Amino acid sequence: MAAIIAILKALGRVVKRDLRTLRSIQFNNFFLFAMLLTYSSLASGRRPAGAAPFLLLLVLVLLFPLSSDPLAKIPEVRLALWPLTRGQWWRLRVASLGLSPVLWAALLVVAATRNLLLAAILVLFAVIAQSLLLLMSSLARRAPRWNPYRYVPQLPGTLGGLVRNNVRQMLTLLDLYVAMMVAIAGAAYRFLSDHPEPRALPIMAFVVGLALSTYAQCFFGLDSASALTRYRLLPLRGWQILLAKDIAFLGILFLLVLPLSPVAGLAFGLAAVAIGRYPSISIRLQQKPWRFTSGDFRFGALQMILATALGFAVYENGKWFFIVVVVVYITSLLVGGWLWEREPHSLS
Amino acid sequence: MIHCNDITKTFDDLVAVDHVSFEIQSGICALLGPNGAGKSTLVKVLTGLLPPDSGEVRIAGLDVKTQSLLLRRRIGVVPEDLGLFDSLTIQEHLELAGPIYGLSSAATSDRADSLLRVLGLDDARDTFLEECSHGMRKKTALALALLHNPQVLFLDEPFEGIDPVASKTIQDLLRAVAGRGIAVFLTSHILSIVDRLATEIMMIRKGKIVWNSTAQAVSRPLEEVYFELVESAPLEDLAWLRSSPS
Repeated sequence: MAAIIAILKALGRVVKRDLRTLRSIQFNNFFLFAMLLTYSSLASGRRPAGAAPFLLLLVLVLLFPLSSDPLAKIPEVRLALWPLTRGQWWRLRVASLGLSPVLWAALLVVAATRNLLLAAILVLFAVIAQSLLLLMSSLARRAPRWNPYRYVPQLPGTLGGLVRNNVRQMLTLLDLYVAMMVAIAGAAYRFLSDHPEPRALPIMAFVVGLALSTYAQCFFGLDSASALTRYRLLPLRGWQILLAKDIAFLGILFLLVLPLSPVAGLAFGLAAVAIGRYPSISIRLQQKPWRFTSGDFRFGALQMILATALGFAVYENGKWFFIVVVVVYITSLLVGGWLWEREPHSLS
Repeated sequence: MIHCNDITKTFDDLVAVDHVSFEIQSGICALLGPNGAGKSTLVKVLTGLLPPDSGEVRIAGLDVKTQSLLLRRRIGVVPEDLGLFDSLTIQEHLELAGPIYGLSSAATSDRADSLLRVLGLDDARDTFLEECSHGMRKKTALALALLHNPQVLFLDEPFEGIDPVASKTIQDLLRAVAGRGIAVFLTSHILSIVDRLATEIMMIRKGKIVWNSTAQAVSRPLEEVYFELVESAPLEDLAWLRSSPS
């Protein structure tokens, strides 16, 4: 029994540390936006119905990392090497399920609402999410050519390979999947409803941009020290390295806002990138794949206010404001490139 | 090819490179030294990854401080951390670098094919770097360093942590490369390989070059020279290893 308790204790520590990485959400622009909506509803004495869909989206996406099997956190080889009897292994298997955060969440739901059905739905969704993940990882292992990463093409031109790498990095962020779901919901609203409200489309484009915008504050957050060394060794100017990051970000954003309000959405993206330039280069917040991006609250607030205001200005007033946004973006690119070259060694 | 004049690099109170001067024209120059002696810092200074506090470095006639962009086109580097992207495959690394160094896609593809064949990476070209062994990663970094046909090649610990076959492949390749006029500067701990491979040998200790000689001029075993410069480990501290049965 002592062996199992020792393993469960270690496992508990690992699960706790893993849960801490999920705290990244607290400085995520989309989460802050949802919290702001909740707060404003509560402050005016209403139920926070407006924030509910956004919070639900976050919970849905969070279910994927939360639903992972705690026992899978022990390396397979290590588990096989430990001298456990079959009975001990089964006891460990069953006891480790008690460390699942989804199970705790379900118990909390039961305690708070006495609604068993809701808790069961939560567990069911977690099981589905975990099954999907297992299926995908097993597919990627058994048939490597079906790995979706392989289908990200290299764009033509000098920076094509870097853009491909950056797109693949973005595919490992939970933010992207929230943005995708908002974009799909927005597109469904536009094409399936009888009379879609035209002014709702840019707003939905901004929400898509908002979901992605935190990453614009930490473009190098997913790069390893090794990758940063390579950036320094490539014969490229600082602005070119940054442009490769921007193309990946803006390209994905543009595709997502295309069915909504592409110009306003792109204006939002350009402004968000320009505002995020300084923290991207100088603050360098490290990020973890398969987590929400965590930004700096000050720049997040600026992105939410200024990028939305500029996006609206472009939507309402057309090309002149778009030119202003483009000029601001180009200035940030050049200044950022200069900053990157000036402070190269903090990164290598 | 490599001109290094009175280079000093410090990190707070630590003098990592201390008034180092040397000149290398061609061949394979190996820099030997214990951990923390300043080998990797010196390579970083020579390749422009770190600015020196004082002194001058010229590589292939270019000043490292003021002509860094041009310099990066003329040198190939296998850095300490290899400088690779986990989410790209071996082949994709070469496809990324080709256009950046001004190669056409056909030339990139031809060169990539031959480099991967020579380095024994042909069958693994579609493997993502995060799934590669250390040896495969090292060979990928070497392929990347050679793709643009550099004038000078820098390798930081190219033989560390790799199997004998990969080590032999890299040694053969470096001999071939040096034979074609590319100057090679490498750091290593592995005396036997350096003894066989290098045409010039330097030893560094506490940031200072304490020994510099051509391989031909070495009159006694390299090991002997090396252990004169490096303190041996105090093995008496491990006496408990013999006396405590588990």
